[in-house]
Amino acid sequence: MSTPSIDEAELNTMLLRAGLALTPDQVRAILPGAEIFRTMIARVNAPLPREAEPALTFTVEKS
Amino acid sequence: MSAMLTIAEAARRIAAKQLSPVELVKTHLDRIRRLDPGLNAFLLVTEERALTDARAAEARQMSGALRGRLDGIPIAHKDIYNTAGIRTTAHSKLLEHNVPTRDAHTVSKWADAGAVMLGKLATHEFAFGGPSFDLPWPPARNPWNRDHFTAGSSSGTGAAVAAGLILGGTGSDTGGSIRGPAALCGIAGIKPTYGLSSRTGILPLAFSLDHAGPMAWTAEDCGLLLQGMAGPDPEDPASIDRPIPDFTAELGKGVKGLRIGVVRHFFERDHRASDATRAGIDAAMDFYAKEGAEVRDITLSPAADYHAVGYLIMICEAFALHGPWMRERFMDYGELFRDRVSLAATLSGPDLIQATRRRRMLCREMAAAMENLDIIVSASQPGEAPRIDSVPKWANMEKPSFTMPFNVTGFPAISICTGFGEAGLPIAMQLAGKPFAEPTLLRAAHAYEAAMPWRARRPAMAD
Repeated sequence: MSTPSIDEAELNTMLLRAGLALTPDQVRAILPGAEIFRTMIARVNAPLPREAEPALTFTVEKS
Repeated sequence: MSAMLTIAEAARRIAAKQLSPVELVKTHLDRIRRLDPGLNAFLLVTEERALTDARAAEARQMSGALRGRLDGIPIAHKDIYNTAGIRTTAHSKLLEHNVPTRDAHTVSKWADAGAVMLGKLATHEFAFGGPSFDLPWPPARNPWNRDHFTAGSSSGTGAAVAAGLILGGTGSDTGGSIRGPAALCGIAGIKPTYGLSSRTGILPLAFSLDHAGPMAWTAEDCGLLLQGMAGPDPEDPASIDRPIPDFTAELGKGVKGLRIGVVRHFFERDHRASDATRAGIDAAMDFYAKEGAEVRDITLSPAADYHAVGYLIMICEAFALHGPWMRERFMDYGELFRDRVSLAATLSGPDLIQATRRRRMLCREMAAAMENLDIIVSASQPGEAPRIDSVPKWANMEKPSFTMPFNVTGFPAISICTGFGEAGLPIAMQLAGKPFAEPTLLRAAHAYEAAMPWRARRPAMAD
């Protein structure tokens, strides 16, 4: 599982796209978290079987 | 009169007319006046409301018309639970002067059951992001040592129950916000099955992960409080309409025959817990085995898989809610909330779909593991409470959470105290059950608590 890194410029672009126009200091404050977040994103993007789909149900125990 | 009663004991004495609800609430208001300035558990004390509630409870007591075991019991609400006519802030500058016009569904249910509301309790900002020192109110402190963290986000409830300021209170749990403070404050806290208790009128953090639940000194008290919270709510799309069991019906039946699976790799390999925490779980499993339960180790996906899925979904759902305010009033949020939730900007649509697909697989895995089990055991927290001034900004991301798996899957889970660590602060374990099997979960938790004499030990400041 490779984890692509993220730099300040890329992070700022992403924040702007989300409507968050932040100062350079504010962007720098978020960068360490973005690096950790990248590892989580890589983890959920590991290969999944075809039957993995987003429907979310669970079975109620029958008494 | 000692204020350090459990709800079960207070209810018994009130029913027997041996305890006045008015005197009980006055005792707790006095404790709040004396102790809370060092704890910051309360954002608002509603003394007049409490006395009015208590007088009404006492009138019912005297006329033989008590409404049940919560009648006359002093409680308080996490400050993300809407309270009609009473300020509800989410511990945030953004809602500093917010006064709702309606009670949350669960607030109404407790009031209808006769519970006496003493006020509103500290939380991490919008139930996510603490401990923060840049909000309009300071963070709650741990009654076992005020230099230490309570965990969160139901921080005020954890501190207030542990210090005996209230006998129980509400929490909310999106990734562990009931079970974390319960663990570090040495009390009990249950996150019910998703859909069992209404979220209407509770300020949301993440729609598909938010759970409302109670916190109290014991599992039995949690059961009594949950009885007053659970039930269908047509206004909550996640609420399930099914019969509500007696949550305390199985207490005292012991654990003989219960099948218990220990997810040892969660707290030994995936995120190694402290020696005391691991020893506490081992001792608890020895207890359960000796009492006739079948105990064995089980293997699930790595805790990091559950954590990544839950955290990504939580951040995205939170940004979906807070994005409009964050774009306009970024600096009105505390640093921890705004910086953590901003991370949603780095997630793509396909990333989120991959997380929801993986969530489905993890739910199936957990359900399969539970087919031949009644209880799954893990740690609640990695160890004792750290100092409140030494919690790293990204601490809740760096290592996988033990509690998030049960938010991702919706299974019920409770944290109970397993003793004390090297620093004299509480340690804990987490028990999880099958969906809607809270009575069995509480039965297992109660059996352990009732057999441990050190459960009578309270924080020194509370004596």
